[in-house]
Amino acid sequence: MLALLDAEQQMLKEVAGQIARAAEVANPGDLKTRDRAAAWESLAQAGLLGLRVRDEEGRPSASGVEVAVVAEALGAGLVPVPYLGSAVLATELLALAGAGPEAEELAAGGKRAGILLNRDLSAPARLPGDEQGYAWDCDGAAEALALVEAPGGAQVVRVPLDGAFTPVAGADLTRSLARYDAPIDPSGLTRAGRPLTEAELARWEALALAALCADTVGVMRSAVTKAVEYAKERIQYGVPIGSFQAVQHMCAEAYVSAEAAASATGYAAWAVDVLEPGEALTAARTAKAQCGAVAREVTETVMQIFGGIGQTYEHIAHVHTRRALTDRQVLGDEDAQLLRIADVRLTGE
Amino acid sequence: MDYRDTPEEAEFRASLRAWLAENIPAGWDKIEDRDEAARMQRAWHRTLYEAGYIGMSWPKEYGGRSLSPMYEAILNEEAGNLNAPRLPSVGYIGRAVFTYGSEEQKKRFLPPLLSGEAQWCQGFSEPEAGSDLASLRTLARLDGDHYVVNGQKMWTSGGQYADWCLLLARTDPDVPKHKGISAFLVSMREPGVTVRPIVLASGEAETCEVFWDDVRIPVAQRLGAPGEGWRIAMTTVAYERGPADIGFIASYRHTLRRVERLAAERGLLERPETRKKLAAAYVRGEVLRLNCMEQLSLRVSGREPGPEGSVAKLLWADAEQSLQHLAMDILGADCMTGAAGEWLGSYFTSRPVSVYGGSAQIQKNIIARMLGLPR
Ligand SMILES: Cc1cc2nc3c(=O)[nH]c(=O)nc-3n(C[C@H](O)[C@H](O)[C@H](O)COP(=O)(O)OP(=O)(O)OC[C@H]3O[C@@H](n4cnc5c(N)ncnc54)[C@H](O)[C@@H]3O)c2cc1C
Repeated sequence: MLALLDAEQQMLKEVAGQIARAAEVANPGDLKTRDRAAAWESLAQAGLLGLRVRDEEGRPSASGVEVAVVAEALGAGLVPVPYLGSAVLATELLALAGAGPEAEELAAGGKRAGILLNRDLSAPARLPGDEQGYAWDCDGAAEALALVEAPGGAQVVRVPLDGAFTPVAGADLTRSLARYDAPIDPSGLTRAGRPLTEAELARWEALALAALCADTVGVMRSAVTKAVEYAKERIQYGVPIGSFQAVQHMCAEAYVSAEAAASATGYAAWAVDVLEPGEALTAARTAKAQCGAVAREVTETVMQIFGGIGQTYEHIAHVHTRRALTDRQVLGDEDAQLLRIADVRLTGE
Repeated sequence: MDYRDTPEEAEFRASLRAWLAENIPAGWDKIEDRDEAARMQRAWHRTLYEAGYIGMSWPKEYGGRSLSPMYEAILNEEAGNLNAPRLPSVGYIGRAVFTYGSEEQKKRFLPPLLSGEAQWCQGFSEPEAGSDLASLRTLARLDGDHYVVNGQKMWTSGGQYADWCLLLARTDPDVPKHKGISAFLVSMREPGVTVRPIVLASGEAETCEVFWDDVRIPVAQRLGAPGEGWRIAMTTVAYERGPADIGFIASYRHTLRRVERLAAERGLLERPETRKKLAAAYVRGEVLRLNCMEQLSLRVSGREPGPEGSVAKLLWADAEQSLQHLAMDILGADCMTGAAGEWLGSYFTSRPVSVYGGSAQIQKNIIARMLGLPR
């Protein structure tokens, strides 16, 4: 047993970190000036958009761990590209459905797809039932994926992001959101691959949750790092504020919560391809429950350590909070996860 | 001990209620434009003033009614119950002026403060002097019968709408830092004053940076003696801290009602956890209200506000922030998707409550000192 990245995964972490730093949103002003296309291009060139594309034997080219490594790096940099939406959630759905060529198109970076979520963002949209919902993390995408009930399972469909979708200003300033308010016209849908079984959907959800958790962990860890640096530099009463035990404890508590979330996320990411789908999903829900439970508190503590300046729009702290709070909702917050974990543990469902 | 109104208070409360029902400006809470909201706020101040509801606890000779502060508490309560616009906070500036001002200053500054003709802001904090306010660097150099002020203030709330500022500046750099500060009553229209609004995470610009470049202030507009600025600041902050003074309790109850409605609309009222959380929010509000009543009663019996104000400030920040957490949790994704975007705004607005007027950490330091813990 070794709960650590191996040498290759470490290298990947460095590569992803470099790309993320080049595209980092270090202050909210960067949201306007970052070259998002260039960031996407570097991810494609490094092969990071294709981690879930399958080989001839149907094996993904990299495991959930690699996906989490990249997601954490991009979360840490608050990078405004649809990595989770397109390269993880959509690509994996296509790959599992056996829609190889479509998955590869996304991996090449030329084309992007978002994911359609239901109205409370807690699950992929099921059509025609979900008459309202959102295309999430769909920056630059012309379509989003949804599920349609079909004989043999859930059929993945491609939904054109046309006039039925209205871009909305959500909490998260780094990822886009478009709303639909009326039943989606079924004639516009295109099927992709074959229907997914329950087990395949569970596998998908496990990866999606693990990747979301990794993003949250990145957002939290980098926020804590920034707050700790600030506490070392900011002078009040003639000393760095980090020398006050009250500030030390705020830093320490935020750090503990973020590290606990990272531990649970590491296991969830590993479990995706190794454990049985049900077990993998429980591991993912465990991580999501932990991430969801601490995301708000950690990012709020960071704002508090920054004092007044951490309350302003021009400061980066709230961009962390907004992204973490959105991650918390997508595919279910901690309450939703806990209820599902309770189902498994207590009722054996 | 008797938590009920005295007969006089009850009578006052009844007539106030009737007055409020007639006079609350219709549709005030639908105004979105900030400048328009500021105009509404001024007009509301004027209306309250003309009816005699501003500065009720001030001495008669300065335009008040020499009533007990209980009457102001009743005003706050009823205004909140009937969803009136925010009540103007003249208390802390007024307190500073009539405690430390010369007779001439009181005559000049107090009436327009009361009537709302003159809006005030508080220029204390600076980029490098937040919690450690006494380290402020803005300099006021004596030049004949004027002071010349240079420096930068930060977090001057309402600075963009204010006519006057209660300004702290260093008049003597050579003495220990608490002793070299003086307070000034300065017009915001003076040449050399530049105001730049600061947008907060909520997207609202409620506070400002203010740059002071060679601003000339007549010596007659210094408040108190040279070097008395620190004491004046501490008096002001002590009065500013009380949630009772700013009508927080009433607006808290109002928000709680809205949150309860949200839960009902979403069909969550049957869930025991939601019921418990809503009830806990009510309890937090009551605890805060009762703590404030106790503080107020002490004040009525002649006690100056002291470190116990820190207790209320901590309870206040916790109540407000927990209530916004609850609203966010009831709304779930709607808070993040813009479907209920206004609540995301109020959530972010609740965050600095544990920062301004002395951060939560500073309040705990004050309480620890009051408890006599070794330093
Ligand atoms: C929305 C808003 C409105 C405001 N309005 C006004 C106004 O109208 N007029 C005005 O003058 N000021 C105003 N302020 C300023 C406010 O009072 C300061 O922001 C506050 O005192 C904190 O100072 P700071 O921001 O410099 O943070 P810092 O003092 O730099 O604090 C940073 C962190 O260190 C902690 N810390 C600092 N010292 C200690 C210590 N000794 N022990 C333990 N922890 C410590 C703080 O709690 C905080 O978490 C406002 C601020 C905000 C955000």
